[in-house]
Amino acid sequence: MDSEKLQDTRTEATEAIEAAEAEKTAAAGASQPTAEGSEVASAEGGLLDRRSLMLGAGGAVVMLGLGGLQFVGSEPIIRPPGGQDEDRLVSACIRCEKCYEICPRNVIAPTHIEAGILNMRTPTLDFDDDYCDWCTEENGGDPLCAKVCPTTALALPAGADVLNTIIGKAVIKEDWCLAYRLIGCRFCYDACPYEAMTLDENNRPHVLTDICNGCGACESVCVSLQNGSISSGATARAIVVHPLDEAGQIILPSYFTGEGA
Amino acid sequence: MAKNNTRIRIIVAVAVIALITIGFATNGGIGTISAFGWSDISILCPLGALGTMLASKLFVPRAVIALVIVIVLIILLGRAFCAWACPVPLLQRIRGLFGKPAKPDAEAADDENLETAGADTTASGIAALSAAEAASLKGGCGSCAEKRGKLDSRHFILGGSLLSAAIFGFPVFCLVCPIGLTFAFILLVMRLFGSGDVTWSLVIIPLILIVELLVFRKWCSKLCPLAAFMSLFGFLNRTFRPQIDDSKCLVSAKGTSCTICAKVCPEGIDPRRPEESPVGMNECTKCRECVVNCPTQALKMPLLPKAKLPAGNDNDKQEEQAA
Repeated sequence: MDSEKLQDTRTEATEAIEAAEAEKTAAAGASQPTAEGSEVASAEGGLLDRRSLMLGAGGAVVMLGLGGLQFVGSEPIIRPPGGQDEDRLVSACIRCEKCYEICPRNVIAPTHIEAGILNMRTPTLDFDDDYCDWCTEENGGDPLCAKVCPTTALALPAGADVLNTIIGKAVIKEDWCLAYRLIGCRFCYDACPYEAMTLDENNRPHVLTDICNGCGACESVCVSLQNGSISSGATARAIVVHPLDEAGQIILPSYFTGEGA
Repeated sequence: MAKNNTRIRIIVAVAVIALITIGFATNGGIGTISAFGWSDISILCPLGALGTMLASKLFVPRAVIALVIVIVLIILLGRAFCAWACPVPLLQRIRGLFGKPAKPDAEAADDENLETAGADTTASGIAALSAAEAASLKGGCGSCAEKRGKLDSRHFILGGSLLSAAIFGFPVFCLVCPIGLTFAFILLVMRLFGSGDVTWSLVIIPLILIVELLVFRKWCSKLCPLAAFMSLFGFLNRTFRPQIDDSKCLVSAKGTSCTICAKVCPEGIDPRRPEESPVGMNECTKCRECVVNCPTQALKMPLLPKAKLPAGNDNDKQEEQAA
């Protein structure tokens, strides 16, 4: 065929042989015992040489160590519909990102590492721009995230609906809220799709905690943080959906208890 | 030709990432590689499927179906995922951008690995050639005794990650899976620019990736539990296996000791002498490097192993061409 190519190949092969022979001699002279040792080990083990055994054992130990991370504390966070059973979600979620991708309103977000290593990349809800309406507009009230979840980390129990599935509860931080300075803001009240808010005699909004399902509509329209100069010191919006603990109590972040509150 | 093959593989891997990024941007519902599919039909990562069931102690029908599909795909395609779709080899090319100037066909992946592997096979090959020649000439590769690949470090990590998932109750490997982290990073970057979502994850995730892929340079061949899973079922794969046309191969037709196909194989398989390779044919990623680098085009990757042609005819043809 191509005689030039053949020539090349032959030269290359010869070189390789020479190199191999040189290496063999070197190995024989310098490290006879070690070479023999590992040879024996692999012959005895039949399957593995010593180096892969060490590497594999080390890797397996690292995997077990990573498993121990479950004892490192993680912050409670709000979960998309079907993720209310926290233990199930953590044990089943493979962090495949499918729920973030499918969410038509882009409210599902990967949890940040700040909420714990174990929580990182599991789904949470981010109500900055929009809220969760259980895909009523987009999929007739059947949440797409729970539908597509391949591992049933998000799975709606039988009989779950938008009203009885409690994502969290909205809580107003009154000293960051414009309405509590009698400015007359009532965006959250107007946004609430479930009549879970009322106005008092001074037109200040209040959350009807019993009705609130944590959909986030109020949080998504709250203007307090955009007007930071008015609500000085604010680090979050004045109305935010907070997760519940196992007993159903609202878990409030530190800014509710810290000084300056 | 050899360069083109590498280029095509890069393009395919980039296209996979681009497709998934488009999915992120358009709420498409195709998922990432971890659960690729359409809407609620997903081909779930086999490690994720096993991990999630071991951790939650639940039988998840979708995960079982996905496992079956994946195993069928592995039987049909071997470890082709590794060479064509996985973002990890692509990311590892970043290493080639720094450091020593790239060798021709920078592929020279894991140089030392190849050299040592090559040395072994060549040395023993030379000695055994005359003796083994007759046998290998008659049988060729198709009928070589099937080499049972050994268990290696990856299988320990596969076992360790599943055991850990069962003990600690969450899919442990998913935390550090470089494939998952790659797409997580893409999503976080999109969110950073899209909605100003700032988080330390944006620093931690690339750090984990750098440690895994650039510091441990042999992730795929020594550590990856997904590759381990695929190699376990790769034994059953018979399709798209490299097959040598003995009438063209320099070793069988001309009696030279050409080892180019063995040297270019990133997995360290010697298609001429699979039974003497450090790893078995079950590790073949169908990357086609042996096919495109063979100086006499003696290697093919047929869909099904072809029955041997009567050697005489082909030899004559070969000689005619050579003359």
